[in-house]
Amino acid sequence: MSDAYNGNILPGRAIYRSSDLSLYFGLLIVSKFLRSVGLFIAYDLLKLVPVVQFLFFVKLGTAVPLLFLQKPFGSGRRLNAAQWFRVGRHALFGSILGLLWLFGLTLCGPLRTILLYEHSDVVVIAGATALFVSNSGGPAKLRGAVFFIIAVIALLLFDHDEKLDLMSDHEANEDIHRTVISHVFYHLVNLVGWSDHKGGVVLMFIALCLQVGFNTASKKLSVEIGGAKRLHSLSTLVSSALLLPWAGFIYLTRETDIQSTTYLIFPFVLVILFVFILDYYIEAVSINHLNQSKTALYGSIIMFISAVILSTTWNHPYVAHITTMHKLKEIITEDHVLSGGVVFSVIVFMFATRLLVSQSKSTRGSFIGYSPAGVPLYTFAGDALHRTSQSVLIVMKNGLRQILEESDSRRIFYFLCINLGFTFVELIYGVWTNSLGLISDGFHMLFDCSALVMGLYASIMARWKPTRIFSFGYDRVEVLSGFINGLFLVVIAIFVFSEAVGRLFEPPEISTERLLIVSVVGLLVNLIGIFAFSGSHGHSHGGHGHSHGAKPARDQCSSHGGHGHSHGGQNHGHSHGGHSHGGHSHGSHSHGGHGHSHGGHVEEPAHHNTNMEGVFLHVLADTLGSVGVIISTLLIENFGWNIADPLCSLFIATMILLSVAPLLKATSVILLLRTPNHLETDLSLALEKIIHIEGVIGYRDPHFWSHTSTKVMGMLHIQVTPDTPEQKIVTQVTSILKELGIQNIMVQIEKELYYYHLSGLNSSFDQMLDYTQNFQKLQYVEPSNRIKAI
Amino acid sequence: MLAVLHFSYERFEVLAVFASTMLAQLGSFFILKESVEALLQQPEIHTGRLLVGGVFACSVHLVVTFGVKNRAMNHIVAASSSSWLQEHMADMSESLCSVVPGLRKLLLPRINPFVLIALTGGVSLFVTYVLIDTKLYYSADTWAAVGIAIMMFGTMAPMSIYTAKILLQTTPSHILGQLDKVLREASTLDGVLEFRQEHFWTLSFGTLAGSVQVRVRRDADEQLVLAHVYSRLSNLVSLLTIQIFKDDWTRSTGYSMMSSAPYIPTATSHVQDRANSPPLPPFIPYQGQGVQSPMTSDVDINRILSSQAPFSQTGRINLSPSNQYSYIGGAS
Repeated sequence: MSDAYNGNILPGRAIYRSSDLSLYFGLLIVSKFLRSVGLFIAYDLLKLVPVVQFLFFVKLGTAVPLLFLQKPFGSGRRLNAAQWFRVGRHALFGSILGLLWLFGLTLCGPLRTILLYEHSDVVVIAGATALFVSNSGGPAKLRGAVFFIIAVIALLLFDHDEKLDLMSDHEANEDIHRTVISHVFYHLVNLVGWSDHKGGVVLMFIALCLQVGFNTASKKLSVEIGGAKRLHSLSTLVSSALLLPWAGFIYLTRETDIQSTTYLIFPFVLVILFVFILDYYIEAVSINHLNQSKTALYGSIIMFISAVILSTTWNHPYVAHITTMHKLKEIITEDHVLSGGVVFSVIVFMFATRLLVSQSKSTRGSFIGYSPAGVPLYTFAGDALHRTSQSVLIVMKNGLRQILEESDSRRIFYFLCINLGFTFVELIYGVWTNSLGLISDGFHMLFDCSALVMGLYASIMARWKPTRIFSFGYDRVEVLSGFINGLFLVVIAIFVFSEAVGRLFEPPEISTERLLIVSVVGLLVNLIGIFAFSGSHGHSHGGHGHSHGAKPARDQCSSHGGHGHSHGGQNHGHSHGGHSHGGHSHGSHSHGGHGHSHGGHVEEPAHHNTNMEGVFLHVLADTLGSVGVIISTLLIENFGWNIADPLCSLFIATMILLSVAPLLKATSVILLLRTPNHLETDLSLALEKIIHIEGVIGYRDPHFWSHTSTKVMGMLHIQVTPDTPEQKIVTQVTSILKELGIQNIMVQIEKELYYYHLSGLNSSFDQMLDYTQNFQKLQYVEPSNRIKAI
Repeated sequence: MLAVLHFSYERFEVLAVFASTMLAQLGSFFILKESVEALLQQPEIHTGRLLVGGVFACSVHLVVTFGVKNRAMNHIVAASSSSWLQEHMADMSESLCSVVPGLRKLLLPRINPFVLIALTGGVSLFVTYVLIDTKLYYSADTWAAVGIAIMMFGTMAPMSIYTAKILLQTTPSHILGQLDKVLREASTLDGVLEFRQEHFWTLSFGTLAGSVQVRVRRDADEQLVLAHVYSRLSNLVSLLTIQIFKDDWTRSTGYSMMSSAPYIPTATSHVQDRANSPPLPPFIPYQGQGVQSPMTSDVDINRILSSQAPFSQTGRINLSPSNQYSYIGGAS
């Protein structure tokens, strides 16, 4: 029984052998069964007695035996005034909760009450933490919490209590003992439009949460008072005193249909005994002797099962004969029924309870490394790191500051604000006028905003400082975001395309009401976006329209000028000048291809921000969409050409696909670490130059790649003669490559000696053989120089 | 010649995996949006041959997953962190295996995410079919779409994060420890002062590339250091470039680095610069450190420099690299 030692926190628990525990199990089973019987009786009683009076009698009846058992006045310290006040407060809240609970009981019947309310605090707290605190308890608890909610929802939605629905019709004019609470409640329920028992379910769930909170809050008080039991007895007494005036008032103002109270005494005694006294003590005992989670689990499960059994048998004539004491018979004829939804939720509740009380194994392992095969290894020791959480306000403030720092992100942010504002106005107006078209268009706009949000995040992220993992910095995030935005557009275009093809064959009737206004406003919003973004990514503006074939070099130069200009206008210029890229590369390009023609290349040097281009294309696609809608609406309204709509969609989809292709190509080339197209000839020339430097014998492994759309990096291995100073070659090679605008050049200078060293260090033999052969192939013979140097 | 300039085409695999996982996610995002619209205006669903289609699709999916050996996908499945779907499944199967130990081999470490998504998708289709057929509960279809879309997100997200990290040229976190160890070892080599600009990244699945700059003492044997560092790192990193850096390798360049501005000095201006330079403090070269250097001291280099006038050949030579490796005064 290894289970017994898990979570053994109670002192002296070990002295009990497991066989003794069966006694407590038995007690628990009996008491829980009796409690559910008591609740069934209470439900019947509540049909006769008003809620407040019922609660008063029950509290009073509970207080009397508790006073004898606990002797709260005889033993322990005397309470001072402040403590009395707090006990009074406790009693007040306790009786309010009691009223809620009883009211819920009258509404949704004993079975559903038991299902919803008879959960231990442990279970509810575990569920709440799993849901609202991240990284707590592992997946099992989260699953349990989700199941718990599913069960509640199943009770709410799938539980068709047909009989009750029928009943509620003629019940409405009957008006059985309504109090203030019930008036408020019925008002609310009518407002939402649910049936009574659904309202009861919601009420019960709220009561459960409140009760758990109440129990947790009263723990401190119970320590101060001197024990939970003393507090309980005192609080019960006080609450009965508090309820007395209200109950008396109701008794005096309302005539009851009970002829004699003597018949009610026995069921009342049963309810008090079963529900309030026996259960209270036995649960306390079994929590002490079993452990708390087990008590919670078995207690709840026993309650559920016995409730199901009782609800199937309660209205049976034989049982009714025993339970009703003849006088109450007429009131329990019509009742809540057992439906499929209830059975389903019983099972789910049991499952959820089991999951929620299970020991958390802290399954979220922490990552320790990788196996030689590259498979991640985890340790299940629990999280050692506790991240401190920042206040949301500070995070938001910092984020806003970061956003507004730079022009790109600022522009995206402002446009996002405009877009979101438009979306919400549209949504609210759509809800107001109950127009589904508007609402779905609003959702469409929200969907589009997601691309903007991603662009915004990427443009902020791109400015982060390099870290150990991101050793090059976060610049490439913008490229990736451009790529994702491109993919996004492709997905949209394909969906639009396929839908349009479907509609082409059977064009549906389209209601054009309000469509025109919405699309015109949308067009205006998007036009703002186009003007905002077209400045930021300069020359690529011309690139994606119609013909993007070979461009004359002059056009490039002018667009370069525009590029520089827009930079100068914004404070973007700061960062631009920062990386030693400035005059160098620009200067060489504005030559109009110094010596070698730039004009021949199809692609111009991508000197723009891919992220911004992605966002821009997105906005452009939206604009096209609005234009298409306007055109097709006009055509449909004026000529009744329903086919205009799919035709427009087809056209737009094709346009989007065409315009997105260059972006996708550019970004994927960067992501693939390909040598930039426009540099290829330059690079081969530069390599020629390098090989002609004095002392250089050859080079190998030249790799040049564009890190972002503006940064090009490279690495190169160069073999030199033994007497050449390495640093000099490094400087020369670096400067040659720098001329092309390549930053971050790594040059490894190798001499023959290096290969001897390497082979001495026996790294890998084959590799070495390769290198030495490679080196010898260069046919280097110049011994005289070496001698001179040494 | 030009093809050599690129890295290997294996990186296409990474991009392809990233693009396909991203497309799946974006598609499911689109479906989420569509289903929100469908929830507002629930259309009637004709189940038709939904069940047959579902079973067929599920089996095709399974056959493809198990039958096709795709190296990239297998690597991704093994190496990316598990999705929440897998995590829950692992948790559940753990408790199941404590009852039926025989399933341990089948279920336990974690199930292939594609199999999992296929099966859960199939199950939700079946449930939808039953609900619509028996209860005419049409929104079950929409809810199933939402559920499948969310699960698709969960399945694809870890994979696209893994590949995105490769595409972003990040240092894989699992080699950080080993790298640190190797670099620490290498920094104890004679003459090595520090490592700078360490960049290591995954080129394609399983291949690492990297570059590092080693700053060495002025009298250190560059080739020896290079060979040592290279042989140590080459176990981890297959495509490696190491640049040995000596500051103040000639005093004059050291000076011109200090006073460097983004201009392109020609050979003549360089000479002028040297001529105008104020007298430097007397330079005492390190001698006799036990390292046999091919260049006996820096003075030799000076001599070579002045005698050979090497820069005339290439035309404009930038002796002051525009501060890529900005000279830090006071070093060494």
